[in-house]
Amino acid sequence: MITLFGKRIRLFRPKSIWIRKVVQWGFFILIALISVNRTLAESGGVSIPFLANASLHAVCPFGGVETLYQFVTVGTFVQKVHQASFVLMIISLLLAILFGPVFCGWVCPLGTIQEFVSNWGRKLFRRRFNHFAPVKLDKALRYLRYGVLAWVIYMTAVTGKLIFSDYDPYFALFNFWTSEVSIIGLVILGVTLALSLFVERPWCKYACPYGAVLGITNLFRVFGIRRNVATCKADGACSIMCPMNIPVDSKTVVRDHQCISCLECTSEAVCPVAKTVQFSTRVAPQVAARSAAGGAK
Amino acid sequence: MTLTSKPLATIVVVILFGGIFFSSAMGWWQTESTKEAAKITSGEFAGQANPADIRGSYTFGDVEKNFGISPAVLAEAFGVKDSDLAAFSVKSLEGMYTGSAQEIGTASVRLFVAFYKGMPYDLSTDTYLPESAAVILRARNLSSEQAAYLATHTVPNPGTAPATSAPQTAPQATQAPAAQPTPKAETPGTSSTDRTIKGATTFADVLGWGVSQATIEKVLGMPMPAAPGTKVKDYCTEKGLNFETIRPALQAEVDKVK
Repeated sequence: MITLFGKRIRLFRPKSIWIRKVVQWGFFILIALISVNRTLAESGGVSIPFLANASLHAVCPFGGVETLYQFVTVGTFVQKVHQASFVLMIISLLLAILFGPVFCGWVCPLGTIQEFVSNWGRKLFRRRFNHFAPVKLDKALRYLRYGVLAWVIYMTAVTGKLIFSDYDPYFALFNFWTSEVSIIGLVILGVTLALSLFVERPWCKYACPYGAVLGITNLFRVFGIRRNVATCKADGACSIMCPMNIPVDSKTVVRDHQCISCLECTSEAVCPVAKTVQFSTRVAPQVAARSAAGGAK
Repeated sequence: MTLTSKPLATIVVVILFGGIFFSSAMGWWQTESTKEAAKITSGEFAGQANPADIRGSYTFGDVEKNFGISPAVLAEAFGVKDSDLAAFSVKSLEGMYTGSAQEIGTASVRLFVAFYKGMPYDLSTDTYLPESAAVILRARNLSSEQAAYLATHTVPNPGTAPATSAPQTAPQATQAPAAQPTPKAETPGTSSTDRTIKGATTFADVLGWGVSQATIEKVLGMPMPAAPGTKVKDYCTEKGLNFETIRPALQAEVDKVK
């Protein structure tokens, strides 16, 4: 950290939020073990100690969203969905209202595996990585996931079945060894992982229906990504590093529906200036005043 | 108020697991089905368990609890030869019938249960049953629509079908006719195909040719056997009836529906 023209600047040394990786892989391993445990229990009665004999559907909060219509109208759950999904949906929603889609950025194992593959893409393509798609097309495609969400909710309501599980790459990822996975699910998983070599989190950006639900909370979440215009060097590091391609350096408060609250843009990670991009409830009053005087965006 | 990564990580983990522990303590955390089928809410069968809600995770024992159909009947219908029939899970059928031209699985059990109980079932989708299940159903009071559906939605049993298996206990269900000893079941169509009553003709054959159970029982002067795979001749012998008298009377009924 050095002081230059009165500003505390950290010599450019991009770093990641390591604790996020720990949490992500922790959940990845937990879900993988639950899924393997289920297979073991069903096939031979042997199971891993201390692990719940739950199906993957039971530990996916999106199941709660899928069954919402049936629950409200009939009072029952869609087949394969259990009460635990409903509980997880409520917990994830509570987290999202407070912190935005932290479930996507910190918990979802499908996001974790996409980021893992993207590490290779970043090494292969360097600066071009995550910037292949034309901006206009990319922006339009970002709304596709709301279409997927509407389709899933409609089809589930009409059929009373868990239609999405046949297309769900998350389900395919943790069940590829079972006969429950459809070919289509495996293909979508394969395409998602292949695209992750070029784009960061392609499934999350363009197709994830649960990301669509949680993304809405970015519009009113309590804690948010806030940029202090007064101290910002406008070097664009935050925007470059954002996995979701959000132009953080042009915003005072990030309200973008695609933000996953990963904190990779903050001063704790890539931003070289201390206390400039932060995850906070509001900008400190003195900073806000300075920002206003300086003509904040 | 500002949050950095470590407190955020802690909060996320604590809220997630804390929420799970709390819901668990409150009895809300259920990761498995309660194995209680949803009830039909309206119509003639209001209040009864809905066959359409049978899930792959159900065992034959769960089906019995909900619908009163014994695991032995289900096993006979689907050709299951398991040491613990009550623990046999419905979704395992898919693996058993992998070589079948049409899928036999959870939907097949739903269809079977609905027809067996005489309950309505959505016939707009194609769900198939093995021949052994169809044989059992033909002996029950199916509507003409259900019988027609069954005629076009039956697939042969795999090599291990119950047609060649050892004799099994007669079907028992809460609404089933009184149980009777069941001779070896035979798959219809294999014994007689030219609509002529012969020594090898089974009741299932006769039912399949369009003669109703009521008509057959009228000719016999007594109830039909619980297992429709029973040969007419064997049953006559067992009950002290003269097959040579029954045969032409039954043949006349078959000819009527030609």
